[in-house]
Amino acid sequence: MKKTVDVSIPLGPVHPCWKEPVRLKCETAGERVIRAEVELGYMKKGIERIMRGRPWQEVMFLAERVCGICSVVHNMVFIEAMEEISAIAVPPRAAYLRVIVNELDRMASHILANFSYCYTIEHETLAMYLLNTREIVLDNLERITGSRINTAYMIPGGVRFDLLPEDAAAMLADLVKVEDEMKRHVRIFETGPLIALRSKGIGVMSREEAIRSHTVGPTARASGVEESDLRLRHPTYRELGFTQITRTEGDNFARVMLRFDEVFQSIDLIRKCVETLPEGPIRGGGLCKAGETSYAGEAPRGELTYTIKTDDFGRVLDIAIRTPSIMNIEACAHSMIVDAASIADVTSTFISSDPCIACNER
Amino acid sequence: MRNILQEIKNFVRSRSIHVSYVDVGSCNGCDIEVLACLAPRYDIEQYGIYVHNNPREADVLLVIGSVTPQWVDKLREIWDKIPEPKAAVAIGNCPISGCVYARRGTLTTPPVENYIPIAASVPGCPPRPTEILNAILSVAPIIFKDYEEKQP
Amino acid sequence: MRSIVYYVREFLRPEWLKKFFSVKTAPLTTPAYFKGYPTLTDKECTHCLTCMMICPAPGAIAVLRHKEQWAPEIYPGHCIRCGLCVEACPEGVLTSGRILDVTSRDKTAFSSWYRLEVDDNLCMRCGNCCVSCPVNREIDPQLAGTGTSASDEVIMRIEGGRVTILHEEKCTGCKTCETNCPNRAIRVARMVEGVQGGEAEA
Repeated sequence: MKKTVDVSIPLGPVHPCWKEPVRLKCETAGERVIRAEVELGYMKKGIERIMRGRPWQEVMFLAERVCGICSVVHNMVFIEAMEEISAIAVPPRAAYLRVIVNELDRMASHILANFSYCYTIEHETLAMYLLNTREIVLDNLERITGSRINTAYMIPGGVRFDLLPEDAAAMLADLVKVEDEMKRHVRIFETGPLIALRSKGIGVMSREEAIRSHTVGPTARASGVEESDLRLRHPTYRELGFTQITRTEGDNFARVMLRFDEVFQSIDLIRKCVETLPEGPIRGGGLCKAGETSYAGEAPRGELTYTIKTDDFGRVLDIAIRTPSIMNIEACAHSMIVDAASIADVTSTFISSDPCIACNER
Repeated sequence: MRNILQEIKNFVRSRSIHVSYVDVGSCNGCDIEVLACLAPRYDIEQYGIYVHNNPREADVLLVIGSVTPQWVDKLREIWDKIPEPKAAVAIGNCPISGCVYARRGTLTTPPVENYIPIAASVPGCPPRPTEILNAILSVAPIIFKDYEEKQP
Repeated sequence: MRSIVYYVREFLRPEWLKKFFSVKTAPLTTPAYFKGYPTLTDKECTHCLTCMMICPAPGAIAVLRHKEQWAPEIYPGHCIRCGLCVEACPEGVLTSGRILDVTSRDKTAFSSWYRLEVDDNLCMRCGNCCVSCPVNREIDPQLAGTGTSASDEVIMRIEGGRVTILHEEKCTGCKTCETNCPNRAIRVARMVEGVQGGEAEA
């Protein structure tokens, strides 16, 4: 049967709901969305081209600036890939500090994603509450690393700054505050009848669709894909006894609630890290050598892979980055938005998959 | 009579600044720092600044990012859509110098001054929300005060 | 009706009106641990250029001469406030946030070396690199235009029609040779290692 398309509605590139430029073309029949298409390419800066022929101390900063929201994890995955190439061992204290900073960054990213969702469904009160809670998380990130975003914390063979005992105490006190506030926000979100109307049963992606379209991260976990969190394979997280959170509904509500749950999980991980923080040096030294590897880590949005080839002096000869959002955006356009009952749900569904355009196009 | 009208306009404009931001190829860091200005801790709206994303309603355009090939012509179009009086503020290092992207092999063509006039710039990678707030507040009176009388 | 009266009375209270129109958030202060733009301390710069060589942002820092005294200068439109220069400087000339205190307490530092590499397939044997090198000129002012030198102390010289690197460890990493090479044959590799406690493996 031939599909009848009434209007093709473009959303973007400059759109009040998009934080970054992306164009979403929706072909609609009445209010029903028949087909959606994502048009990227507004942010292509050629970071991989700039990275070639440069030593780690420059590539590290470029890797951070692939994405400003999840900059810590880009730094971490790049540095751990370089360590795998050059067989550099990390001191245990540095490995734990990395987990602390990474989880703080994940909390900030997840809270920001949920802020965007609440802002998109016009629940501005909850959105502002969440944004204020995020500031407390960023304060802690700043206290450890010295800057709020683009922290430049990890270097091959360790980290740059140590965690002082008084900072650790202040961080634990702040985490109690964050946990209390987040519990309140989750209650608002879970029990709000209007939020449930805008979120439950909208943008449903089944487990089969999620696997077929290779979704990663919270988007996959909300659809019930098991073993999709790469933190399960990271040695430090395994020491901490990390377990994956999975939900099965696969709608907007599940995706947002999964991120809320992961924030609480991150708080627990940080507490466990601070409790069992081993004594010792924070830098082991070690020079980067020649080699080639492909290393994957878990970003707030899913699996992040760096494929790196270096020369004898530790300069990056070739690099390829595979970021999580590209799979999630395509899955969103092909599985979630299609057959949406209303064009008004398109923006919120798209935002609920937490798209990061800067990551995608680099 | 005209002066009173101008006074009223000055007062109203100083308390109602609509801001639109456009990301022309940054790392997202400055984007979320502009968003962080909305948070109740910084509370950009207590100064009468309202963050929109609609250029047609905006007074101040925040330009974020070094200019990517896609934006070379579109940035000017967005600037033309903003009604007078208007001002553009460059947020972060990218619109000023291209930050770490201004190297061999890059696809970006900074600075932004080549495409639209920039009234003020906030260096930093990314700048703190307080720095962004101060820049918007400092540029607004210079541009909007006695705008009609300055016209030829 | 009673609720309307209640709300009207509530909103006409002078305290409420005063609060509504005048209250602002508390003035915000930048915390002491924020890595701001590096500023100068009173230590003397020795013109070793470590800060310039480790800086990841193009054109962010330059060491300039002010009346017989070298001093680094930071350019705000380019500096990304990463603090690597503060940590790398062996003299502690720059300071930013509390990086200087933390690094001196933890004894963390960056040690760097430079490796010179000449691609013989690209090299045209012009000798530009040997002539332009500022260290070479200081050691042997008589360095000929062809890049040959009688001194054994220079970093590199032309020997038998090809560039021979004699003293790699004297290189300061200024990359003058790289910019003067017409064919991009000579490359300076900066190798940086983050160390703690003073020991470093070469």
